[in-house]
Amino acid sequence: MNILSLSGFIPEQICDTIRFFGYEGKQRISHYCRYASDYISQILEDPQIDGAVFPRTCDSSRIIQGLLGGYNRFLYSLPIPARRDGSAIPYLADSIRQYKIAVEHYYGIGLTDISERTKLINERNKTLRELYDHLPELSYGVYLDMIHGVLQKPLREQRVPAELPSCPYPDGPRVFVVGSTQTGSGIIRQIEAAGLHIVGDRLPESHRLSSAPDVMLEGNIFENIALSILSSMPLPSQDDFARILAKDKEELLRKQVQGVIFITQKYCEPYDYLFPAYQKMLDELGIRSLRVAVTGSQGENEMSLAIGTFADML
Amino acid sequence: MEQSYLQLQAKLMREYYRDFSKYAKGKLPERKVAWVTAFTPVEILEALDIEYIYPESYAAVIAASGKEQGFLQESEKGGLCRDCCAYSGCYNGALSAGTAPRGLPPRPDVLIATNNQCNTLPGWWNLLAQEYEVPLIVLDYPGEYADREQAFSYVTAQHKDLIAQMEKLSGNRLEENRLETLLQNSRDSVAAWKKVVDLLPEKDIEPTVLFDGISYLITFRCKPETAEFYTAMYEYYATSPEADRERKPVFWLGYPLWYHPQRYLKELLPDFRVCGSNYITWWSLDYDGESPMEQLFTAYNYTFLNLSAKTKRARLQDCIARSGAKAAISLRNKSCKCDFVSAKYIDLPQIELEIDMIDREYLDLERAGKQLDILREIL
Repeated sequence: MNILSLSGFIPEQICDTIRFFGYEGKQRISHYCRYASDYISQILEDPQIDGAVFPRTCDSSRIIQGLLGGYNRFLYSLPIPARRDGSAIPYLADSIRQYKIAVEHYYGIGLTDISERTKLINERNKTLRELYDHLPELSYGVYLDMIHGVLQKPLREQRVPAELPSCPYPDGPRVFVVGSTQTGSGIIRQIEAAGLHIVGDRLPESHRLSSAPDVMLEGNIFENIALSILSSMPLPSQDDFARILAKDKEELLRKQVQGVIFITQKYCEPYDYLFPAYQKMLDELGIRSLRVAVTGSQGENEMSLAIGTFADML
Repeated sequence: MEQSYLQLQAKLMREYYRDFSKYAKGKLPERKVAWVTAFTPVEILEALDIEYIYPESYAAVIAASGKEQGFLQESEKGGLCRDCCAYSGCYNGALSAGTAPRGLPPRPDVLIATNNQCNTLPGWWNLLAQEYEVPLIVLDYPGEYADREQAFSYVTAQHKDLIAQMEKLSGNRLEENRLETLLQNSRDSVAAWKKVVDLLPEKDIEPTVLFDGISYLITFRCKPETAEFYTAMYEYYATSPEADRERKPVFWLGYPLWYHPQRYLKELLPDFRVCGSNYITWWSLDYDGESPMEQLFTAYNYTFLNLSAKTKRARLQDCIARSGAKAAISLRNKSCKCDFVSAKYIDLPQIELEIDMIDREYLDLERAGKQLDILREIL
């Protein structure tokens, strides 16, 4: 079973999936998120992949099923509620339960270790949370590389060290990174090479993961998983900018952040819409910002130049 | 007869935009105001005497008046990426500029967005909520991605919550009889509109009439005048000459080009006739169900763009088959990813044009002409 999953919305408690981290494929769709089209490429081209699961949270993910029209393997679109009220939890819980049933049915297996997996995830996230809380004393590049390495393994093989190897980090201006998808280590290295000290982030694979509240083992496990997903650090595709801005404002002030680097994927509309609101908040707080759009057309040198100039400004 | 339907059309539009120029000068609205997306259950708002404004429609009107470029640049200056839906770029630009061709909409008391059309609109509405600092309500419709019972329970809880919030905002109480009447009006509007749409393959009708005509189903679907207007429109066009069978019947697959005087590339299609379009069927909502809550659920949960890829494909194929089209012009709209898949699995010769429904700069007219030449050769 090699299901390729897109985004951290897919509940890891159900079963192992192969988390999508990037793929250089043949699919090119105009005016469409490159990250999503690379995901489609891997589904269609990688012989190891025999299924796909993705959330229905943005227009790009919403039409994946249509773009994969002829694909006749396991395909599951998980609806993520745009709300967090009482009705959203049973709704998402039922969707997760349906996902489990669909996997079991397609692969002819029984998924019976959800509680055990939940415990492992709770423990992993607890360690990640502690590391995140100590980011100001860590090298962010080392921290993020560790997470990327961990997440590419099956859950039972994931080991998050309680302490990271001692590694020098820049002692320059404190910055915060906002990003729409798994952010490449290359950009992070460039930020650190420019002397900027990353003290926090809003990345799906880092802060969102570590912010996930523990999933309780008692009671309805699907509702508990749903509650945890909906209570984690909100992403712009969840349609609550007010909550995002309030949470980030608190962290930016607490960590005395001097600059924010906003990394977006070209044609990633949830972040494109968040940006003006975020920038307005930063302007009010007197925090400078740099927006970097990740596309095939923007070379690393250009990005490096922009980051270097931003570091000089700070 | 033409006079009758044109008078009704003008009356509806005049009433909608009546005070926009006054609002631009600071006039305050008499009723509470909601800014809504095009598939919002407006019957609830109408029943509670709340005024509802459609920003998407106004962006189309701005583009039709040829003013969209300045506003797109204005919103870009404010940080909104040009890649985003051009409805939002155009509308937000007009708000920033503080001016627009017909004036400005009244300031909202509440913002209501739905995701039964796309996921872009809730993002845009979130941005507006930050700007205006008013409550935002996002209605989440699972469409066919959840089983009917589960979806009904989830959506109905939201509709009830919306009613409670709007009762509080308006100070009015929702009368079920009134809601039933408004739902019946919507049903009548849809039925009357369908009859007009059915004329397109048979009669000599400019598609422009239908591209503009559907705006009333979007904006005024639950008002009794809408069915009356469409009935008059039907009676007028039913007596039109038969369609010219010498011209090749082609299906227009995608949005109208709002900035274009005819809303489609008429100048490139002298030997074609547009005999069908999917866009003009999108608001033919199915208000099926026994109770008002069931009717609202069916209509707004199962909008065309909220259906599974399989159902959408089947509906589209049926729509094309009924039009009698021998070819299709598929539009790859920069602003609407949810319509991207429409072009797939169409068993007809087709060309795909890169366009935007608002931003005229996305269309390469010369290239489009060459693509149409290829289509002619194929046919």
